[in-house]
Amino acid sequence: MELKLEKFTKRFGTTTVIDSMDLTVNSGEMMALLGPSGCGKSTTLFAICGIHRMNGGRLLFGGQDVTTVPAQRRSVGVVFQNYALYPHMTVRENIGFPLKVQRKAKAEIASEVGQMAELVQISNLLDRRPAQLSGGQQQRVALARAMVRKPDVLLLDEPLANLDAKLRLEMRSEIRRIQKETGITAILVTHDQVEAMSMCDRIALMRDGKIVQLDTPEGMYRNPKTQFVAGFLGNPPISFLSVTAGDTLSLGEGLTLARPQGLEASGDIVIGIRPEHFGPQYGTGLEGVISFVEPQGREELVDVRLANGQEVRAILPVGDPLKTGQHVNWGVATDRILAFSQDGARL
Amino acid sequence: MSSRWLGVGFLAPALVAVLFFFLLPVVMTVMFSFTNMTTATGITGGEYLLSKSRLRQLEAEGVSEETVERLESAGYQITEQGLAALAEEFGEDRADELREDYMGESFTARRDLERVLRNLNDDPIRRTRDRKAAADLFAVTILDERFPTEPAFRDALTESGIDPADHDALVKTAYTGWTWTTDNFKLLFELPATLRYAMNTAIYVVFTLAFNVGFGLFLAISTFYLPQHLANTFRTIWFLPRILPPVMYVLMWKWFTWDTGFISTVLSVFGVTPINWMTESALNAWTVVVLINGFVGASLGMILFSSAIKAIPLSMLYASEVDGAYRWDQIRYIILPQLRWPVLFMTSYQTLSLLTSFEYILLSTEGGPGGSTTTWALAAYTTALRNYGGNLEYGFGAAYALVLVIIGIILSVLYLRFFNFKELVAKPRIEQ
Repeated sequence: MELKLEKFTKRFGTTTVIDSMDLTVNSGEMMALLGPSGCGKSTTLFAICGIHRMNGGRLLFGGQDVTTVPAQRRSVGVVFQNYALYPHMTVRENIGFPLKVQRKAKAEIASEVGQMAELVQISNLLDRRPAQLSGGQQQRVALARAMVRKPDVLLLDEPLANLDAKLRLEMRSEIRRIQKETGITAILVTHDQVEAMSMCDRIALMRDGKIVQLDTPEGMYRNPKTQFVAGFLGNPPISFLSVTAGDTLSLGEGLTLARPQGLEASGDIVIGIRPEHFGPQYGTGLEGVISFVEPQGREELVDVRLANGQEVRAILPVGDPLKTGQHVNWGVATDRILAFSQDGARL
Repeated sequence: MSSRWLGVGFLAPALVAVLFFFLLPVVMTVMFSFTNMTTATGITGGEYLLSKSRLRQLEAEGVSEETVERLESAGYQITEQGLAALAEEFGEDRADELREDYMGESFTARRDLERVLRNLNDDPIRRTRDRKAAADLFAVTILDERFPTEPAFRDALTESGIDPADHDALVKTAYTGWTWTTDNFKLLFELPATLRYAMNTAIYVVFTLAFNVGFGLFLAISTFYLPQHLANTFRTIWFLPRILPPVMYVLMWKWFTWDTGFISTVLSVFGVTPINWMTESALNAWTVVVLINGFVGASLGMILFSSAIKAIPLSMLYASEVDGAYRWDQIRYIILPQLRWPVLFMTSYQTLSLLTSFEYILLSTEGGPGGSTTTWALAAYTTALRNYGGNLEYGFGAAYALVLVIIGIILSVLYLRFFNFKELVAKPRIEQ
């Protein structure tokens, strides 16, 4: 079911957290609300599920205005960051709770709970209590409880934040699988760009209560609208260098880079070079000294300090041993350079 | 200093407190309950005194008829000692005349001696009252005479020629001090009032407890849903009964229920005859007693339950709302089940404290009307320390108290087992 936020405004006291935001999530789509903490992504989620009241604007589920409908009657399922399972109920009772408060027949509840448990693969844990489950299992229970009412929209609030790295990988694909299997419209709130990029169809990157860019993961990565977006996406992060654009891009101290094609700006600008676009495989061009080497198994993360004092990050396959202090002269994939104006807008 | 002694040092205040405020009172209660101490016997030793009024009961206590008669008619004898006393009060001349004519003579009845005194040649004692007083100076009976020690009393009995077989019984009867006895407990089970007190205590504890917990829960849950500042205001108001001095608090209730008080005044507008709403009937008295205690206890419950509700993660309440639970379901399925431990704790704690508390009843209804609100603890208190007749029965009161001590200890042990005390103090119960 399509979800639409129109001119959504949220204030806490006199502070306006979100000011007339528009967002449309297509039916069956999984949308990420991505952003640093305090950007208003959780507030948006709480407004969508009805826990927080909206101070302005409208919320539409499939064209139907639900702005003033209380949380109890909105058809949304929510998975909370700490799962918020009811500790005094068994897994069975936890999953069945939304149906129980709807006064559904016991037999119906039992069969629905059974189906859900099968979907999230916890059929063998139904008689345990939340305290007896691992983090990943609790996550599955929370997911089943959110989905058992067959809601129009599934909201996930930092669902992977409390899991260890291995479980996080597993649950990432699990959640995506369940979402695709059920075809439910879902919104994932996260501050982790890897999660957002790997799980979602589209990403809404938020900052200070505004959506900075709304795009597919690839589109946003390749074509960031602002310096903030470029810096937020990508791991290891992009390196920014201050340059003066003339015939070439001058970095000072005699260092220059070729102008990327299509760049029209001149004067002082900022360029961004992603780590995978800097290295010996692109020839030579930037001279510097290795200031830091971080082995990551398959790859190595290398920081190169240029003569002008700025640093550029490279990610290289493990090959020749690189040492701190080593003098290098590596090239840049010029056509992948991202250029921004001084105030952060894309050029 | 080794850490062991340091530990003992830190524990010392607690140990001293336990010793003086728990163990010592318990030991003394046990001791007192096995004595017949009253105001009359005192709490130190006693003397030996056979009073005339006791004479009638002596036969029932196994003293022979002959002995009783002998005690009763021991009579009067003219002795130097008596004459000396007479000389002092009624003049040397009369004493001299008596000495000359009657020295060593005995009279069985005071009447006979009085006749002699009236017929004195020189200066007869004319007033009847004076004659009686003068005659009494020559009494040789041991009745109404105090003997400081048992041997002295026994000597007196022997001198009076009383059958030695009856000496032991008389010594026992004459002793005015306290003795060890188990009679208190016999009496406890025989008195019909005891059952009444037990029933009253049950009524008091059950209803007050129900009110405490129920109203405490109501306050905690209702204030939880109020805006913060409003909730705090309400909680403060409901906490007043607890922080108010009990005498003042109960005085306000009295003012509220007096026949010239608030309720009566308001109702008189509607033509209702003013009555004392507190003591008009047993039902009235119970209602007031339960409410007075209930509001005090409910405020504690409110604080305890409020903090327990606050300990429930907010996201859990959000989750329940998103799951479709309205407030009633939220209270019933999410909040109440998680208040199980605080409620159980409140129940057991209040049971114990209500069993032994009587101050509010004492201050309000004083156990009335007609003893209908006298609980066990109040009975113990009035018997031992506030008897209307003036004879405080320390021993019997202690027997009442001992029953409470035993019930209290048994309940405490049960609670500690039931609550698995170690686990209870180890970690909070409300947690994922």
